[in-house]
Amino acid sequence: MLRVSAQTTGTEIDLTGINGDADGAARGIPFGSELMRFGEAIALREPARLANARTALFEQAGSRVLVDAAGVAANFQRMVRIADSTGIPVDDTTSALGRDVRATLGLERFPGARNTPATG
Amino acid sequence: MAYFDYADAPFPIRNDIREAHRSFWQRLARAGSWWTGAQRVAIARESRNALTCDFCARRKEALSPYVFSGTHTHEGGLPDAAIDAVHRIVTDQTRITASWIAGNAAEGLSLEAYVELVGVVVAVFSIDEFSRALGLALELLPEPQSGEPSRYRPAVLADDIGYVPTVPANGAVGNEADLWPNGGRAPNVVRALTLVPQAMRDWRELAGAQYLSFADMANFVGHPDRSINRMQMELVAGRVSAINQCFY
Repeated sequence: MLRVSAQTTGTEIDLTGINGDADGAARGIPFGSELMRFGEAIALREPARLANARTALFEQAGSRVLVDAAGVAANFQRMVRIADSTGIPVDDTTSALGRDVRATLGLERFPGARNTPATG
Repeated sequence: MAYFDYADAPFPIRNDIREAHRSFWQRLARAGSWWTGAQRVAIARESRNALTCDFCARRKEALSPYVFSGTHTHEGGLPDAAIDAVHRIVTDQTRITASWIAGNAAEGLSLEAYVELVGVVVAVFSIDEFSRALGLALELLPEPQSGEPSRYRPAVLADDIGYVPTVPANGAVGNEADLWPNGGRAPNVVRALTLVPQAMRDWRELAGAQYLSFADMANFVGHPDRSINRMQMELVAGRVSAINQCFY
């Protein structure tokens, strides 16, 4: 979705932000580094890290951005559990875009890959 | 009691988020399709207990969760298999398998009850995560209401994806006509909980407030009611998903 959005808006981004690269997250995305760190801290469930990330995002981007980002992160804390608890496969394994994103991010290493045969 | 007034929140909370959280809390307290209101609230309580469950923490470190025995920290009100399912979904979801779900079904936790349980767990967990993300106290759980489960099961189901039956992509008809435009695209994650259609409706309502509505998901630029554009949203979503090792 990030790559589709970047293509739609003609923005040059670096997908490595998804894997935790702060410089990559900042490329082409306003407050990208702070947003990435905030989402990361929520998912890692480390209170001190979360408090620091929350403060950093608030100071850089303000309360509206902080609240909207919290909503998105909370939503995806749920989505991953729906996907893994029901074993759903990826919808379209044939698209070149999807294959490229999975390869770039190394997603095949995740256990849930077993639910999607022949993703290569 | 007025839940989710967010009066003490140091940041203004969008009204649509507040309303979505309140709306789910009301449904949480009522009998669902396969669980009573008291059981649904017990499921919600266990989704919180799982985060401090010592057995869950030790099992997550084990090479296989299926050869590791012990007892969860829990408050009862549910069959053992349901307590284990709740804790597993919250703390060790990547290692859930089809055979474990089928084994539970053989011992009384039906696929339908399991799917409703998943829906309750993930909704409560997501609402709690929103509060935790902003440094807010978790909302009190609602008082359960009396009533019996409807035991409603969709008439048209398929076994073509995942571990549980789902409404097929072209099956949004009859009582399920509101799920998505029939003939339209129904991604697997949208279908995932449709063995219990209300669980999917809950999913949709919460997603519409915390992330995007179905209609807005096709907008890859940005929504006027959001302060972050779609790229910013997807960066957060992607990082959260990566840490959770989500392949989907």
